[in-house]
Amino acid sequence: MATDIQVARVVSVAALATEGVHAMGRGRYVEAATYDGAEKVSGVVVDPEKVEVHVVVRWPLPKPIPEIAGSIRERIVPQVGGRRTIIMVDDLEVGADENL
Amino acid sequence: MRIFNRIVMILLLAGLFVLGVYAVVYAFDLFGYSLSSLLDPIKAAGSGAQGFMRDVQSGSLAPLAIVVLILVALLGLILLILELKPATPRRVRMDKGTFVTRGVVQEEVSKAAGQSPDVLGHSVKTQAQRKTGARVDLEAKVRRGEDTGAIQRNLRRTVQEYLGSRGIPVSKLNVNTVEADPRQTKTRVQ
Repeated sequence: MATDIQVARVVSVAALATEGVHAMGRGRYVEAATYDGAEKVSGVVVDPEKVEVHVVVRWPLPKPIPEIAGSIRERIVPQVGGRRTIIMVDDLEVGADENL
Repeated sequence: MRIFNRIVMILLLAGLFVLGVYAVVYAFDLFGYSLSSLLDPIKAAGSGAQGFMRDVQSGSLAPLAIVVLILVALLGLILLILELKPATPRRVRMDKGTFVTRGVVQEEVSKAAGQSPDVLGHSVKTQAQRKTGARVDLEAKVRRGEDTGAIQRNLRRTVQEYLGSRGIPVSKLNVNTVEADPRQTKTRVQ
C-alpha cells in the first residue's frame, strides 16, 4: 500500500507529463500540497477519500481544458488506488513566444 | 456570511472579556470598586425588565416596542436564512471533478473580448455557481454612435465561441456596452 506522499509524487509526475500542463498549481486560498516529514509535494492533495490535483495550464491551450483534465485523469487514475480524483486548473501560463 | 459570523463572535468574545475584567475588579474590591455597589444598578435594571415583561403579559406594549420586537424577529429570520443558504462556490465547475478558478475564466473572457475590433476596453467579472459553468458579466467600452446592439450580439457570440473552443462552460453571460471617448480608453484604434 503506497503512502500518501508516494501517491502524491507519482501523481505530480504524471500530471506534469501531460500535454498542456505547464506546472503544478499551489492552490488559491490554502496551499495545495501533501507533506511527509521534511518532504512536500506541491499541487497534489492526497487524503483517504480523494486526490486533488492543482495544475497551471499552458496558453495557448493545445486542446480544450476538459480534454487536458481528462488526459491528466487517465494518467493518474491507475496510481490513486480507487480514490476520487479532482482536477483543478489554478491558472494559465502564457508561453514566452506569445506576445500578450 | 462567515465573515459576518466571525465579526459577531469577535465582538461577543471581546464583550465577555471586558465583563470578565469587570467581574475580577468588583469581586476582589480593586480600585475602590466592590460588588455591593453593583446591587442598586442591578435592581434598577431588574425592575425595568420586570415592567417590560408585565407589559408583554398584559398585551399593553408600546407601539415602538412592538415595532422593535418585530424588526428583531425579522432580522433573526433573515440571518437564519442566510446562514442556512449554502455558500457560493469559489471555483467554477466544468465537468465532473474538474474545476477552474474564476481568474482563468476571467482571463479567457478578456482575451475573447480583446479580439473584437469594436471594443476599446473592457472589464470582466466572473462568479462561480453551484451548477456547471460560470456567470460572466462583461462590460465593453465602445465608440460613441456605434450600433451597440449589434456589437453586443457579436461580442456575445465571440465570447461563447471562444470559451466553447476551450471547454469552459458559461451558465450566464451578460454583455453590456458603455459608450466611451477613444482618447480615454486603453485601446484607441483596433
